[in-house]
Amino acid sequence: MRTSRLLDSSFLVAGVTAIGLVTGLASCTGDIGGDGPLGPVPPGAEEATFSGARRLTRTEYDLTLRDLLDDTSNSGFALLPEDVNDPFDNDYHTQKVSPALIESAETLAAGAAERAVTSPTVVDKIVPCVASGPDDADCLGEFVRTFGRRALRRPLSEAEVQEYVDQFLPFAVEGDDFLLGVKLVLAAMLQDVEFLYRIEIGTPLGLPGVARLTDFEVATRLSYFLIGSTPPDWLLDDAEASKLADPGLVRIAAEKLLAEDRARDRVDRFHALWLGYHQLPHSAELVAELRAESRALVEKVVVDDRSDYLSLFRSEQTYLSDYLAGHYGYDAPGESTWVTYPDERRGILSHGTVLSSFGKFADTSPTQRGIFIRTRLLCQTIPPPPTDVDTDNPPGEEAGECKADRYAIHSQGGCAGCHNLMDPIGFGLENYDNQGRYRETDDGKPECVIEGQGTIEGVGDFSGPSELADLVIGSGELEACVVSQIYRFAVGRREGAEDDPILEGLTDGFTSSGRKFDELMLEIVSSESFGFRKEEP
Amino acid sequence: MSSKRSLHRRAFLASMGGLSISLPLLEIMLDSKPAFAGGPPLRYLVLWGGQSMGADGDPLVDDFVPNSLGTGYDLKTATQPFATYGVEDEITIVSGLHIPTANGGAVPDGGRADDFHTNNMGPLLTGVKTVAYEKGGPTSDQLVSDVIAGNTVHKNLVYQVQASWYLSVSAPYGRDIISQRSDGSGGFIEVPGTVSPSQAFDSLFYMFAPPDDEAAAAEQDFLWRQRKSVLDLVKTRADVLRKKLGGADRERLDRHFDEIRELEMRINTLPPAPGGECQEIPGVTDPSLGGNQPDGGYDQNVGYSGEEERARIFMDLTHMAFTCDLSRVGAVLFTMAQSHMNMYQLTGQATDLHEVGHGGVPGGTVAVATAQAWHMKHFAYLVDKLRGTPEGNGTVLDNCGIVFLFEGGHGDDPATGNQNSSHSTENMVVCVAGGAGGLARGTHISAPGQHPGKAILTVMNAVGANASSFGEVSGTLPELVG
Repeated sequence: MRTSRLLDSSFLVAGVTAIGLVTGLASCTGDIGGDGPLGPVPPGAEEATFSGARRLTRTEYDLTLRDLLDDTSNSGFALLPEDVNDPFDNDYHTQKVSPALIESAETLAAGAAERAVTSPTVVDKIVPCVASGPDDADCLGEFVRTFGRRALRRPLSEAEVQEYVDQFLPFAVEGDDFLLGVKLVLAAMLQDVEFLYRIEIGTPLGLPGVARLTDFEVATRLSYFLIGSTPPDWLLDDAEASKLADPGLVRIAAEKLLAEDRARDRVDRFHALWLGYHQLPHSAELVAELRAESRALVEKVVVDDRSDYLSLFRSEQTYLSDYLAGHYGYDAPGESTWVTYPDERRGILSHGTVLSSFGKFADTSPTQRGIFIRTRLLCQTIPPPPTDVDTDNPPGEEAGECKADRYAIHSQGGCAGCHNLMDPIGFGLENYDNQGRYRETDDGKPECVIEGQGTIEGVGDFSGPSELADLVIGSGELEACVVSQIYRFAVGRREGAEDDPILEGLTDGFTSSGRKFDELMLEIVSSESFGFRKEEP
Repeated sequence: MSSKRSLHRRAFLASMGGLSISLPLLEIMLDSKPAFAGGPPLRYLVLWGGQSMGADGDPLVDDFVPNSLGTGYDLKTATQPFATYGVEDEITIVSGLHIPTANGGAVPDGGRADDFHTNNMGPLLTGVKTVAYEKGGPTSDQLVSDVIAGNTVHKNLVYQVQASWYLSVSAPYGRDIISQRSDGSGGFIEVPGTVSPSQAFDSLFYMFAPPDDEAAAAEQDFLWRQRKSVLDLVKTRADVLRKKLGGADRERLDRHFDEIRELEMRINTLPPAPGGECQEIPGVTDPSLGGNQPDGGYDQNVGYSGEEERARIFMDLTHMAFTCDLSRVGAVLFTMAQSHMNMYQLTGQATDLHEVGHGGVPGGTVAVATAQAWHMKHFAYLVDKLRGTPEGNGTVLDNCGIVFLFEGGHGDDPATGNQNSSHSTENMVVCVAGGAGGLARGTHISAPGQHPGKAILTVMNAVGANASSFGEVSGTLPELVG
């Protein structure tokens, strides 16, 4: 699986050409899909995993319009249905179709098309020719050809180009306006099913349901995973030139994508969704400050320092502004800068972002925080509560009781089996409130002194986020879980048994090679099986 | 009431006015101002509020149900808006309703599992028991639409006032769905509502306003042909693509393809012309989307997206959709089940709607009623507007059957054994408005222990659904038909 990583890049560049000549053929067809098996089962095909048509999320939609048309209206966020965050927003199994979706897609396409053709700058960018008049079929065709490749993420066949021209040139003529033709092409392409969904068909192989992705489909997978948006022109050029026909070449392209600022946004978004802080229930100012703190650490670990990923959980420094210093009760640094914690905080579990999440009942929730650690960091499954249990009211509502006493009911009788997996973890974080501030007692109850002692059943005891991080790391399960989480984000679904070999290989590689997170992302896209798909049953 | 659009009616009307435009005259140009040859059509509407009747621990079951039975009932905190709009004599309150629970055993027909949230949505919206949070049948709006939608442009309008789930670390998992239809093979297709008022407006009033002159008519026609042409190509290409898809993707995308075809049919269908009471409402813009609430907590700055304006607009759109016969059936979700929408801007209550029932603000059941009153205000507004809209020898309201459903009641919570709990389906209330099929108007009916599905079935049949049962619920409430 990691063969490519062991090879010298220059060898790869020279050596893949012959492979590309074979495997890249399908990528140059003017239509998605291809014909016939290609002979012997190629490496990676047998490990192909399931993929299904994935609709662009609201975020992906808006980033795609930004990159295609310099359209920064974020219109998709306003009109497209809210994505399900579970925890990632891109699980295609959660996506629903509705009349509202279809109408929104049409409205959004028409609006983006209108904005594009009324901007001379955008027109210059997307129309590669100067029309001789409204009836300039060649120029409209050239626009369809070039923009179509970008919007639909593959070259259009000449028949398709002609179809667009035949459909819309008459309107340009009737309206005596070449740009009307451009606008209608845009309106059609931006609500085309192939635009709204990432549809993979590939080229069938001898294995049932397995297909080799075209290079353009690989480019699309790469791009939406690494930068959350449509493939840039150079990547489409690579696809067209069969430069994505081999894992080593895919890796080279991925490295180039990861060097973009957009990849920083994507890495930040992954962490925010995974760790539950992509939207925080605080004032805009506090949210911005908290998000900046966590983003700074993520970028430092993943991008700038490329340090051991575990330092995300162990960092002794944090990026502190005067505002946040006031929030946490630290000395103001004077300007935003990296400072060494003056107390026991360490890493991202100490951040106000993470500590703000997973609250309940207007307070921290030991149960929810326990679920967070179990499900998000250890990738364990907590059974859902029985349908005859009320999960909607705080335990033990008798006034005057301290929180620890109230939650004691959870460790009794039939509740204990599951709650002992959760609550004792959360109680180890109780000294940190639901904005991440340190506290000695329950909110509003000075008589209730917080002990702050926690346990991960079967793993060990701890106090506070720093010791918790050490315990989670020491469990030996964190690496595999990180791999599973980023894999889910990449493939847009939860993993199944068929993904196990890939996940095991990725985990071995991640653990044994210094836990570089960017390297993990590269390994995902340059695995042999990345270029294949299996149709879901 | 509508016809296939072969030539745009506005252009045709302009040409008939003696203006010269170079468009061919086609044979099908039926203008369809709602004249209702066989009498006005009947309409059906489901409204939904994500709140129970009382607050936890409060022995006051509700501050909603009148003390007196029959007409001329007394108003409570929740129903004060009826007086604001003068619709006490229009809205009927059915009280004492009850969805049975498993109570530790098997879930009875039309009943629910014991955990409250979402387990009660299925029995209430579909009449079918819920074992584990599912909705086991088609919802009443879909059932009614199948029978009475006729040739309307919009078979079933589904709107959603609460614009977001407002919790960042979870998802609504069905708490936002009040409409679903059969997929024809034993399963069900959820129909999420339109969240954007401007989108709903554009959809409803497409090409609705008549052009001022020949040039405007020609322009309108030109724009319509452009839109149709774009959709034609999108559909043609989708049909080609479909043939290349494997089974799972084809199944996944078939709904998308179906909806494209539905949209194409809608824009090819000539809507009834404006005239008389049927007029386009002023244009609308969408209030911006707000941020998330803490789970169970509250922050004044988040969890609100202008739902006050959104609710008003969706009521206006529903009113005009019915008046113009653009649609005969609708479902409007005001607030999601277990709603985390911020109530501060709506009622001054510094908490989210869900927490109002759980003691998030002082006042207990009266506080719940205050939150309910916000829902009732928009309901009463709609009823008043429909009543104020003449149709035939009466009003549009005379030809409506409207039900307003609240998520829960007040009483025993089988999951905890708590009494006086908001997590209860005892003491539920259904409000009914409209005069379709001789529905009783402005009265209070006590129906202790009866399933709310009976009230729903009664209204469904009042608008012509001719159903013998609603899911697993059979029998109607005879008192509800005056």
